Amino acid sequence: MISRVADHCFWFGRYVERAEATARALSATMSLGLDGELPPAQVWRPILVVAGEEDEFRTRVAEDQDDHHAWGDAELVQRFMVWDQDNGVSLARSIGGARWNAQMIREVLSLEAWEAVNELHLWSTSPDTQALYAQQRDAFYHQVRRSTQLTLGLLRSTMLHDEPLDFVWLGVLLERVSQTARMLDVHHHAFANLTERNEIIETAVWLTLLRALSGSEAYMKRSAGRISSEAVARFLISERAFPRSIAYCVRSAYDRLAVIRPPDADALPGGVSLEQLRVLDTWVDARIKDPLVGASVHDLLTHVVDEVHAICGTLGKELLGAG
Amino acid sequence: MFQSQSQGPGPGRLFEKYPALDGTFDEMFEAGAPRPPFARVARLLDAIAKEDLAKAQALAERALLQQGVTFSVYGDARGTEKIFPFCLLPRLIAHADWTRLERGLQQRLRALGMFLDDIYGEQKIVAAGIVPAEMLAGATAYHPMLRGLKPPGGVRIHISGIDLIRDPAGTWRVLEDNLRTPSGVSYVLENRQISKRMFPRVFDAARVHRVDHYPTRLAEALRSVSPTRRTGLGGNSGVINLAGPHEGETNAVVLTPGPFNSAYFEHSFLARTMGLELVQAPDLFVDQDTVFCRTTRGPRRVDVIYRRTDEAFLDPDVFRADSTLGVRGLMRAYAAGNVALANAPGNGVADDKAIYPFVPEMVKFYLGEEALLEQVKTFVCLRDDDRQYVLEHLGEMVVKAVDEAGGYGMLMGPQSTAEQRDEFRRRIIAEPRRYIAQHRVELSSCPTWIGERHRVEPRRVDLRPYILTSRSGSWVLPGGLTRVALVDGSYVVNSSQGGGSKDTWVMKDAAP
Repeated sequence: MISRVADHCFWFGRYVERAEATARALSATMSLGLDGELPPAQVWRPILVVAGEEDEFRTRVAEDQDDHHAWGDAELVQRFMVWDQDNGVSLARSIGGARWNAQMIREVLSLEAWEAVNELHLWSTSPDTQALYAQQRDAFYHQVRRSTQLTLGLLRSTMLHDEPLDFVWLGVLLERVSQTARMLDVHHHAFANLTERNEIIETAVWLTLLRALSGSEAYMKRSAGRISSEAVARFLISERAFPRSIAYCVRSAYDRLAVIRPPDADALPGGVSLEQLRVLDTWVDARIKDPLVGASVHDLLTHVVDEVHAICGTLGKELLGAG
Repeated sequence: MFQSQSQGPGPGRLFEKYPALDGTFDEMFEAGAPRPPFARVARLLDAIAKEDLAKAQALAERALLQQGVTFSVYGDARGTEKIFPFCLLPRLIAHADWTRLERGLQQRLRALGMFLDDIYGEQKIVAAGIVPAEMLAGATAYHPMLRGLKPPGGVRIHISGIDLIRDPAGTWRVLEDNLRTPSGVSYVLENRQISKRMFPRVFDAARVHRVDHYPTRLAEALRSVSPTRRTGLGGNSGVINLAGPHEGETNAVVLTPGPFNSAYFEHSFLARTMGLELVQAPDLFVDQDTVFCRTTRGPRRVDVIYRRTDEAFLDPDVFRADSTLGVRGLMRAYAAGNVALANAPGNGVADDKAIYPFVPEMVKFYLGEEALLEQVKTFVCLRDDDRQYVLEHLGEMVVKAVDEAGGYGMLMGPQSTAEQRDEFRRRIIAEPRRYIAQHRVELSSCPTWIGERHRVEPRRVDLRPYILTSRSGSWVLPGGLTRVALVDGSYVVNSSQGGGSKDTWVMKDAAP
């Protein structure tokens, strides 16, 4: 397929996944804040850190102060993460990005999938939706999640399962690896800094994280109701059967790319990306025996995020026309 | 969605007190009664309650927006999108009318194609004194460098849209030819989807020709002119290879200037419905006079390009050097016979508004037949007598610049101000070759739903049928784009100036 089109497919997948992840994270965090057991800044700041927008928020909203009330202001953080057009990872920008890319590959997507994402875009920009956001915040996030999930489902059920869909899915999976790794890292980090351990609060925070990743039910089935920081980390990193775990996403991304560019097709471009993904997959696999405590978790996740970033760069050069 | 309730005439009926215009041919009614071929359909439509029609109209508009059936508004940096206004009430064309039109259009396309071959060849028609040499010399769309070049497959006008109007006597007349990159066919197909959804019973009763095979026919026409004869999808084996495009098969693509082009929706629509790749200029490159596209598996040969980029922007080596929408070397590859371009570059000379008056003569000259389609009497300002007449009658005439389209560069005499007329007088005297003039034709009208007034009123319409030409001849899509001037009293149907569209129902049967 045309490299430029493949690029739009890839980014379409990333934006749809990012929109869903953002909506889920905000919704779960709001729920955590309502329990009122943590200082507000400790509830909301991680959202900004995970998004990589901490500095941006500090300059533009928190008046360059680290103890500014904005860090714990649920409304300010949400407005920044939902509507802010200057925030590259806001929900509005992700939905807009998904729709823009979809429009560029309108002839590649199925009519149903295109309509789903176009409707999400029209919905997100309508005055009624502003009212819904103001009055029923959770219903708003719910709708975003439903629409993005519908889009991803329709892609699978109405499109040809060949190269364009492989590229969309590659984008979804690589975005998901980063989202999971960053979410886990930020939460883990928060606990490392806690001076006083409080089992109830810790449990609540881990549950929030699992909910934000649509993983609380799956986790409980695996752990029979027990929650520990190490068990949650192991689940999110290594659980092969959980479709948002790092191990699952990296392996699936490798499988997708191996279909696009088979390992033995030496004449075709894409070999370096494929090899990078293979190495990362092997590396993640080997971590299953490592103890997941303290700084080692952060190091592990940082490695994953950096590698995924590098792989996206190579993919761009080798296959997506950026070279 | 409507189950017609067939009560007798009463208040609230759709066509109640339909105010037909004096001196105008109405497409559906004659002297207060439906025209005989449409009686049945008119009765069924009439039974629709106004409230229901208003609801359906709103529903249809929302569906168009949600499906993204939109065009971008030029000069709007934010890329605002609008739906092309659409009136649910169909425009009907009787079987007998259509049969005549079809033959007339095929004849016209044959003659125009031969004219282009001739004009880029021996120029017999100029030698015979039928088209004056100075008309040709003044045609900005004529490219002398293309002379002697034979397009792959021998076809130049693969896709055309011929604008037709109907005068007060009901006579169909050609208003202009569009032989470069005519647009609008996607609306024909989309409008039909909506009609079928909204009026299943009426539609069923009307027995209308289908239009949804257009993309298939277009893909066939494109493949038929491929310079490389290959097997598989492009071949004549009749076997359809469902494994998708592969090396060794004809590779036809649709070339778009990009999403900021007002017709981007259509480019993408056609690529999607034909199953072809939609490419932009940077996706293509030329190596050794052969065109390739950049794919995830390396370069892939391109055989046929349905290009929706204006020819001025096609190749910066040959046409506008500042074009960023072009492919360097494309014309060289075309000249080498390695790629087919649809439509062929250079067609503009045949749809030049100053060449138009000569088309009936062309038909006679090339085919030895009388032209089946009437046209509108046209005054060519380059001719002294014509110019004199035009300058003396500016207030009654429609003056058009020969190289502009979309309703721009026009003087509508009867609605003009003295200043506008002076302006055009000055321009005509300065550049007579650039202007032609016609008497204003009272375009026919069609019952149209006017939402603000919650009633049906007559509005003026034209018709653009689409004709595909492959190696084996021309085919007319039985339907077309009916454009309607939605503004009360307006004659301008262009979407850029308040025009909308209607579904066009060409009836299958001679008798309803």
